[in-house]
Amino acid sequence: MRSERARHNKIIFSGTVGAGKSTAINALSDIPPVSTEALASDDTAKLKKTTTVAMDYGVLNLPDGEKVMLYGTPGQERFSFMWDILSEGGIGLVLLINNANTDPLSDLKGYLGAFKDFIAGTAVTVGVTHMDRAEMPGLDAYRATLAELGHQPVPAVFRVDARSRDDVAMLVKALLYTLNPGLIDA
Amino acid sequence: MSRHTILPGQPLTALYLLHVGSMDARLIGLSVERHWKHSVHLASSLESGRVVLIDCDRPGVEAAFEQLAPHPRTGVVCYAFHPKDHAQRFPNRVILGKPLNLEALPGILAKAAAESARTIAAPPRRIAPAPDKHPVEAAQSIEAPPSHGQGLQTEDERDLCGVMEDLPAAPIGPLPERLFFNPNEYLIGHLQRAIEHAASNGRPHLIAGLPRLIGVRPLPVPACITDFRDNQLRPLSMAQLPPTTARLISASSLTNNGSETVSASEDFLWNVAAWAARGRLPEGTDPYKPVRLRAWPNFTKVFMSPHALRISALWVRTWASPVEIAARLGIPQRYVFSVFSSARFAGLLDSTPPVRPGAIPQPPVSTSASTPTRSAVAEPVTRQQPQRPSILSRILRKLLNAV
Repeated sequence: MRSERARHNKIIFSGTVGAGKSTAINALSDIPPVSTEALASDDTAKLKKTTTVAMDYGVLNLPDGEKVMLYGTPGQERFSFMWDILSEGGIGLVLLINNANTDPLSDLKGYLGAFKDFIAGTAVTVGVTHMDRAEMPGLDAYRATLAELGHQPVPAVFRVDARSRDDVAMLVKALLYTLNPGLIDA
Repeated sequence: MSRHTILPGQPLTALYLLHVGSMDARLIGLSVERHWKHSVHLASSLESGRVVLIDCDRPGVEAAFEQLAPHPRTGVVCYAFHPKDHAQRFPNRVILGKPLNLEALPGILAKAAAESARTIAAPPRRIAPAPDKHPVEAAQSIEAPPSHGQGLQTEDERDLCGVMEDLPAAPIGPLPERLFFNPNEYLIGHLQRAIEHAASNGRPHLIAGLPRLIGVRPLPVPACITDFRDNQLRPLSMAQLPPTTARLISASSLTNNGSETVSASEDFLWNVAAWAARGRLPEGTDPYKPVRLRAWPNFTKVFMSPHALRISALWVRTWASPVEIAARLGIPQRYVFSVFSSARFAGLLDSTPPVRPGAIPQPPVSTSASTPTRSAVAEPVTRQQPQRPSILSRILRKLLNAV
């Protein structure tokens, strides 16, 4: 029997430390997100003052009373054991990459590798954040990396501001259309 | 009133009066009996109708739409005294004004029925077998019909996509001239040349002769710099420029006085091309030739024509002509042409299929869950079972309303 968590509708937000996962969930959630942010105490502290130590949790309330949970994974790799557990039964993955990191394309590869099995059964969209601070690499470099890794169908890659509900919603919409281009549109 | 708004030989349109007043029902019944008996017949139930008629001014219209949820392939034609007032409530529905134009109605009903019948279904299940209620299984369910787009058009939609009628599904004669635009007569042509020049000699370029600055720089990433605001750039992009208006100038650097906006060249080209195209194609385009989007446009920054997300989602996974994409999504071709034109100038279009020609544009595949495929959209589902919209569809609706 599947766990209670697995039966829920959920969308997984993952990505590098400081990419804006908590912020993105905050932007989209209909409830104040439950967050397990703590003061960063390791190398992460160089990147941001707080970091997610377990997970973030937000909710999209659908009109019929149903809920879609928004789970944010901890960015630090030492918590990667949680990623599989959190993503079990998820609808798809929104991957946020901080373009101001030292090697964001390597980050992209790392996360795509870590979620390989999950993505194979669902879909992924990639949001590139902090492009205002670091223009390089451009979106084409991300697309080339995805092509090199053979991701099909081609995932959407958008430049996003994780604080913008519109931008985060666009990532989720692209995820839904990647799963099914036949969904209605407006 | 003409009896032949439908071409002779076409099948009867089964019309179900889902939500109309008794007087309207009587008048429509009489029209069918006396004038439309060769084109329309009244269905006795929702299940047997191919298209339904809904009076948006009557109370309980929401409940009427709810009844339609299990019937995604049934066409819907609405009517109201003030269609614009209802366009927000029922986006993407065909909403006719009252009084109904009875001469045109049979044709509109037939079109709505035919277009909804082309509704595509979700792709087959793509994950390992899972217990009931897995969220992704929702992708298998029948979705609500896509927008027809030919109903009430907003001003923006007209600006962006024009009003061009669809081409035939297969080439049968010369293409109409009004289908095409010459990029060299618009800002997009100058802009494309500026970007090419900048890329080839590594120096910024300006488009001189315009009331405000438009410049391009090739490094560190190709970008366009302008102090035109969007509401100024849009009409400029849509207008035909006299040949002597704009000329390219190489510059050592581009001034930055703080009032300019800097955009990725790809995004800027996308928008300027969309405004120039207005639902048309660049000269020389074959609308029946299969192409593919090599990547999704950056939709957080570029203008989206109706259905642009669906078009992109399908076009990044399949080689298909613009005409075929429109047919597979059941949408007017002008929306696909708009995406095509923008994608071409933004450099997002692949036009050389890497595989043998015979394998390029596959028809939609079957919906068999036992043969999962990630690369195609399924054939319209013919059976109609009462089903609520899939979880994906419900999330989408939530996001569309929320954003």
